[in-house]
Amino acid sequence: MMFAYGFAQRALIAGTIIAVVCSLISFFVVVRRLAFAGMGISHAAFGGVALGLAAGIDPLLSAGGFCVLIALGIGWFSRKGKIHEDTVIGILFASAMALGVVLVRLANAYNLDLMSYLFGSILAMKWLDVMIVGIVAILALSFITIFFKELLFLSFDEETATASGLPVKFIYYGLLIVMALTIVVAIKLVGIVLVSALLVIPGATASQLSSNYRGVLAWSLTTGVASVFAGLYLSFHFDVASGAAIVLVLFAVFLISMALSPRRRYMKRKLHQHVLRGS
Amino acid sequence: MRECRVKDYFESSGGKKCQVIILEDVSASLGSNRVLEGITFSLDEGTFLGVIGPNGAGKTTLLRVILGLVKPDRGMVRVMGMSPVELKHELHHIGYVPQQVLFDPLFPVSVYDVVMMGRTCCIGTFRFPRKADRTAVLESIRAVGLSGLEKRPIGQLSGGQQKRVFLARALCLETRILLLDEPTSGLDIEGQENFLELLSDLKKELSLSVVFVSHDVNVLARYADEIVCINRTMHLHGRPLEVLGSDRLKEAYRCEFDFLAGVGGEARPGEETRE
Repeated sequence: MMFAYGFAQRALIAGTIIAVVCSLISFFVVVRRLAFAGMGISHAAFGGVALGLAAGIDPLLSAGGFCVLIALGIGWFSRKGKIHEDTVIGILFASAMALGVVLVRLANAYNLDLMSYLFGSILAMKWLDVMIVGIVAILALSFITIFFKELLFLSFDEETATASGLPVKFIYYGLLIVMALTIVVAIKLVGIVLVSALLVIPGATASQLSSNYRGVLAWSLTTGVASVFAGLYLSFHFDVASGAAIVLVLFAVFLISMALSPRRRYMKRKLHQHVLRGS
Repeated sequence: MRECRVKDYFESSGGKKCQVIILEDVSASLGSNRVLEGITFSLDEGTFLGVIGPNGAGKTTLLRVILGLVKPDRGMVRVMGMSPVELKHELHHIGYVPQQVLFDPLFPVSVYDVVMMGRTCCIGTFRFPRKADRTAVLESIRAVGLSGLEKRPIGQLSGGQQKRVFLARALCLETRILLLDEPTSGLDIEGQENFLELLSDLKKELSLSVVFVSHDVNVLARYADEIVCINRTMHLHGRPLEVLGSDRLKEAYRCEFDFLAGVGGEARPGEETRE
């Protein structure tokens, strides 16, 4: 049995924690349309990792600081309203990656280590890494539980949320910071290139299956955790990269949810009625 | 007339009316752009005030000044006897219905959930809704005539029903003042009529003071007690028919008005149009 090994146990524990946090954030990523922001922040992490490799500090630490700065930058520029959010993300994301490429070259760090950040290295996790994942998870879960109502209101209708006196700016920046930190620890699991899948697919799948946020949250959690389990198992069994295996399982589950979606059935019925009335 | 205070609503004020909103010589800017200049008016308790003006006249900014979201450069704002800073803690007495809620039609919330959002500040951080919250939400949904649709996803309602949901959300607190920013935009004539009919019923039933912003004069003429016409500065303040009949309205809009003659009830002779 694979989970008799220490590294596999650590992978499973860290993977489960990351899946839970990512699935919950995924809900807000989908309803608040933060998918591109998530992708931008995760790719910008490459710059942060390179910075760490070049400066000789723990790359996850430097990536954490770097991603939080990028997230705040995205929030600040887009709230100023002078540039659109997606434009800001496009600019910061490419620039941070370019910085990463230059730094990696200067530090002569084109090595296996870098590859593990790009594509994940969950099986190489140490207990210290698992602890860091746990701390970030506690932070993220507390933020989401404490401000859940407020986050929901703000995602639905920011203008009225502001008018009713909620600290909208604080909560919005809080969400971005929590997302940035989660992305950084999730890099261990699936890597920089694939991490945005964990932030988008569970929420997207769940939205196909329920039209109420309680159901969406439940489905998102189920999808995320089950896919990480299945992905890890398959990667172990067939000896393929764990990150890619997890993402492919997520994609398969998403396709199935599309086929089963009661929402699509509803839309079809509507369309059918419309056609009948029209004829 | 004296100023209203929050406690007036909970103690008997001897049937005397008071002023809920007072603006004196208020000017406000968005960035470096002066959008409001020298606005002075007051709103008596229980009055339905229509604010008209062309697009970009500063109507939305006026509402934001009242809510304390935009700090005026100059002038005094008092709402229920409070300055905007004090008002921050009493915002649950003000219901706000925004222009067009640009929500995602697939957003996974029901009618009940959306109305419950209105009580977010009252429930308090890290708390679940209590029985009083649930009762208030259901009562609001009933008041706008949407009973039975509580569990329906918001995206599956018609435009008019959605507007009612946002009205219910604005009413589910201890609402004394209702601020509406073009809430009927996007509705057809019948939808607009229904919405305003409902609004004026609720106003009477709950003795609300209403500020209704619109660029559509015809709709407001029928229902408003008073009309203020602004286009950066204030042009007119008076009863609907007086305002609508005035040449100064054209001046404010800088174009001819094509409003239906005969709407807006009797003009009362002897009452001067205030400026």
